[in-house]
Amino acid sequence: MKPVKEGLRLARLMMVLSSISPLFILWAIRGNCLIPEYWFLGFCLFMVIAPSLYLWRRIVIAKKQKQIRPIVVGKAEDHRDHLLVYLFAMLLPFYSADLSVWRDLAAVLVALGFIVFLFWHLNLHYMNILFAVFGFHVFTIYPKTDDNPLSGKTSVVLITKRVAVPSKEQIAAYRLSNTVYFESGGQ
Amino acid sequence: MKFELNAIQTVQFGVGRDDGDEHAFHCVMVDDAVQTALGEMATETWAIMRQLTNDPVRYEPSEKYSGCEHVYLPLDDDLAVRMRNLHEAVNLDIDQNALNDTEAMFCYFAKFTDARGWKLTALRRATQFKGVLKSRLLWQSGDALRLMDDRVFKLDKDFDLLIDNQRIHILRPSGFEFAGKLQEAILGAVAGNVATLHADLPFVQFAGIQDYASTHPRAARYLASIRSQQEVAKIDRQHLINTCDATGVEITLNGRELIVSERHIMGFLEVLDRRRYEVKLVPNAPEQYRAPSRTRLS
Repeated sequence: MKPVKEGLRLARLMMVLSSISPLFILWAIRGNCLIPEYWFLGFCLFMVIAPSLYLWRRIVIAKKQKQIRPIVVGKAEDHRDHLLVYLFAMLLPFYSADLSVWRDLAAVLVALGFIVFLFWHLNLHYMNILFAVFGFHVFTIYPKTDDNPLSGKTSVVLITKRVAVPSKEQIAAYRLSNTVYFESGGQ
Repeated sequence: MKFELNAIQTVQFGVGRDDGDEHAFHCVMVDDAVQTALGEMATETWAIMRQLTNDPVRYEPSEKYSGCEHVYLPLDDDLAVRMRNLHEAVNLDIDQNALNDTEAMFCYFAKFTDARGWKLTALRRATQFKGVLKSRLLWQSGDALRLMDDRVFKLDKDFDLLIDNQRIHILRPSGFEFAGKLQEAILGAVAGNVATLHADLPFVQFAGIQDYASTHPRAARYLASIRSQQEVAKIDRQHLINTCDATGVEITLNGRELIVSERHIMGFLEVLDRRRYEVKLVPNAPEQYRAPSRTRLS
């Protein structure tokens, strides 16, 4: 069987950038002595607003085009702990990094580039503090184990307002990417 | 049909690809206009089926069908295994690159769910769908015609078959046989069919028939068809001998066992499948016929 490609590269990249937008909010508050205030603030604001707008647009397009995929739940795991890992492993170290020397700033930006690439490559673009702010939970949905050779075998991420996702349930969710889905009405 | 076509909730589109040894089915995302068109195709297919007959007969692999005939096959039938797998498959992988290799594409399909949660799967051979790619398409730009550079696919007016939770509703039997890889399935089922028939007809020696049918698809189709008949076990040995005699099928008797020579295996299977018969309309001049296609009178 040929491997399935993830697709939607730009959308996933913008979702990753959106996921690190809190870092740019913190940097904007801290300011930087190397770059003029209006350039630095403008850059931070752009990195906060543009990716989040793109994410919002992606959701709107998915709804408008009815890009719905019925997902049958085999097993669901709540991954709120991923958000904590993301906060402590990425956001706080970068926030506390010293940006007062050009070389340090360059090193931080390159390190951030590595992180973005890894998040993009490993399909971790679902980790976004905005979802939590709006009351969404993130679940990893593992497929049903059946004997059908055609059934999908890859797990997907579901962003939903449900607090629990029972197994065997079929959920119609909008596609944000081939591995991340968004349920707008679930409570 | 166990599906409400006027209450479609979700539509998934996909293509079937021949990836070497196996048939793979991948979903491809489509926008709401395509989803609406697919729903209309399913509705049109069901309308054509109902125009042909409201009381379809069961599909028989040995029957020679015309291009469009409304027949059905229960979803739990052994011959329906590939289509059943497609219908019951969940969380099909999405692969937007599935359309890249058009040579490998053999069918396209749509999976619907309705307001009650019932499912419907519709499938069509991809001949027309990818056929447009070989044409030079033009589009009007201002006052001039230009060659279209984009890759264009074409949806048909209807599907070859619809699958609900109970039956495969077939409009084009050839499409069903192609997409369901029926020839392979039937050849693969020869041993099982012979075992079942031998239990029902212990007075027939099936060893030679099994060897022959393993390499002759038509004979294998007859076996599959005969096996699906409910009256097989009621066949009377003497009546069978008489019919073979009347229709020119040579058999030899070894005690109570009937042995069919290789030259007459097809004839013997035709007798069992009610396709070889004698008519006596002219006195003293019985006529023998073979029926590639026949319909039982109720």
